[in-house]
Amino acid sequence: MSVSTKHQPPSNNFGPQGDSGNPRFGSRWLGPLALLGPAGVWLIFLLVLPTLVIFEISLVPNIKPGGIVNPSGLDNYFLAFQGVYIMVVLRSLFLAIGSTLLCLLLGFPVAYWLAILAPQRWRNLMLMSFILPLWTSSLLRSYAWITILRPTGVLNSVLGFVGLPGLELLNRPPAVLIGMTYSFLPYMVLILYSSLEKLDRQLLEASADLGATPPETFWKVTVPQALPGIAAGSLLVFITSLGDFVDPELLGGASSGTAARLIYDRFLGQTQNWGFGAALSMLLIMAVSIAIALLLKYGDRDAQP
Amino acid sequence: MTLSSCGWTLADVRTTVQTASDVLYIYTWAGYTDRDLLNKFQQETGIRVIADVFSSNEEMLAKLQAGAGGAYSIIYPSDYMVIKMKELGLLTELDRDRLVGLDQLFPQFESPSYDTDNRYSLPVSWGTTGLIFNKEQLKPAPEDWNYLWDNQGQIYKRATLLNDAREVMGATLRMLGYSYNSTNPKEIQEAYEWLAELKPAISAFTSDAWRSQIVTGDLKIAMGYSFDANEVMEESPDLQYVLPKSGSSLWTDTLVIPSTAPNLEAAYAWMNFMLDPEIAASLCKRLGFAISSQAGFELLPPEIKDNPTLFPSEVALEKSQGLIPIPEVADLYDRYWTRLTSA
Repeated sequence: MSVSTKHQPPSNNFGPQGDSGNPRFGSRWLGPLALLGPAGVWLIFLLVLPTLVIFEISLVPNIKPGGIVNPSGLDNYFLAFQGVYIMVVLRSLFLAIGSTLLCLLLGFPVAYWLAILAPQRWRNLMLMSFILPLWTSSLLRSYAWITILRPTGVLNSVLGFVGLPGLELLNRPPAVLIGMTYSFLPYMVLILYSSLEKLDRQLLEASADLGATPPETFWKVTVPQALPGIAAGSLLVFITSLGDFVDPELLGGASSGTAARLIYDRFLGQTQNWGFGAALSMLLIMAVSIAIALLLKYGDRDAQP
Repeated sequence: MTLSSCGWTLADVRTTVQTASDVLYIYTWAGYTDRDLLNKFQQETGIRVIADVFSSNEEMLAKLQAGAGGAYSIIYPSDYMVIKMKELGLLTELDRDRLVGLDQLFPQFESPSYDTDNRYSLPVSWGTTGLIFNKEQLKPAPEDWNYLWDNQGQIYKRATLLNDAREVMGATLRMLGYSYNSTNPKEIQEAYEWLAELKPAISAFTSDAWRSQIVTGDLKIAMGYSFDANEVMEESPDLQYVLPKSGSSLWTDTLVIPSTAPNLEAAYAWMNFMLDPEIAASLCKRLGFAISSQAGFELLPPEIKDNPTLFPSEVALEKSQGLIPIPEVADLYDRYWTRLTSA
């Protein structure tokens, strides 16, 4: 957001529109400049310029370190739309959408309970305990899932103990979904909580007074109010899981190639091709940017009361 | 700068970082140094060693090429990477007059195929790639690569292969009677087709995660390096390593001095330290890797000398080959590998 703000001439954004009387030019510019300057410089040097460099490299076919960067065309982008790569991208999308839905399904009841039903004085403590897993490294959390899901692991020991047949989950797609959902659920809960916390309870009471059943109240009053939170939480989980490297790598097994792995291999694998890797990165960046743009356009409108 | 129309060189390696003369930075594999070794070196030479580790040759090369390796005076690349680094002009030619004990290496390391006369590199550790299996669960014991194909039902989803295109394709090529370094597109395609047939039975392509899972009994068989196999066999008596009959890949990890090395004195001191038979023998005993020093080997107790995982017999090694870079078909290997691991 701040990036695009930085690109436009600031005069469009700041200060009253069409304000011709402007006696003190300095004070009008000083405020925004002082507030946006440090972050703006940071973003330009560490986000905008590097992204432009990635874009430039993506225009060079088959470039390795030591090669001359001389942009020549979109060949790398065409390469990305070949059969096997499409499959990888589809798998990434499937995993990202799947874990987003799972996070929403699991996270909404929790956030709802925390924000509306839980006793006030326990709320912060419980929210905190829910975010606690984020304090450990994501790598560690994935390794923990290996211990739980492996054929002779914790899960199957418990299942065997209560007389149920074991499950084969590790090194298969369900394990990746479980790992990602676990990793990103706290983000979803946090965002949904802050959105549900602001819910206008009088509307709920009014809805009940006017004869709506609880499910009707939920779907017609609660959910619409929480929609911006749902959109923001889903987008955050979707973006992070789309670029996730650790979970598919450790839990996914032999058929776990994702976009992140594909990019990694172009840069650090045996056959280096930084141009193609950069093109894949740009495609990922563009996909995510489009998703954010859609959210800004439609998400904001929903946020209007 | 970035948008100028004329080209710039991607990842240009810059020279020399200033470091203190009594500090030596080395870049090595995990498991090749320990506190005792570094302390002993400091006692003998007064040079403090700071060791960073990498987990693949490619990662190491990428770091150097990104210009972040300027502090290192000693690096531990594997054989094929020595060739690549030499071609990229990243290595210093060794001054043989400053090295003591070169004549005490095993004969096969006097002039290895990846580096004639050890002009740029010094072999420190070597080994093979083979199969580690659980002998309680798999009977009769596997003897060759084809065991994986012939017993797919038995090993279904309880087997892993290395996450390395050349090793996995190479083993398959060898099993089919071809060279590990085949450049024949027909042979490479044939190997891919065999692997595609085996893939449903494979649980994962991994170079390290198999270790804990085979100890706990979650895997029956894994493709791995002899060095790692030796380590897991100490943890579980049920595990055994086999060098496949049709041949395996022979790898060597070496010491090199990068052309950007800031501290040549210390680098040669480290090389001579590693050439010392006593040191080599103690490393083999303590860290469990096969050493290249014959004089060091003679100092080892018989049970280590006779350990076939660490020191396989000449006969067993006869059919094994070192991997060499084959840039002309690198893309082909990569395409098949991506198809295999992504589909």
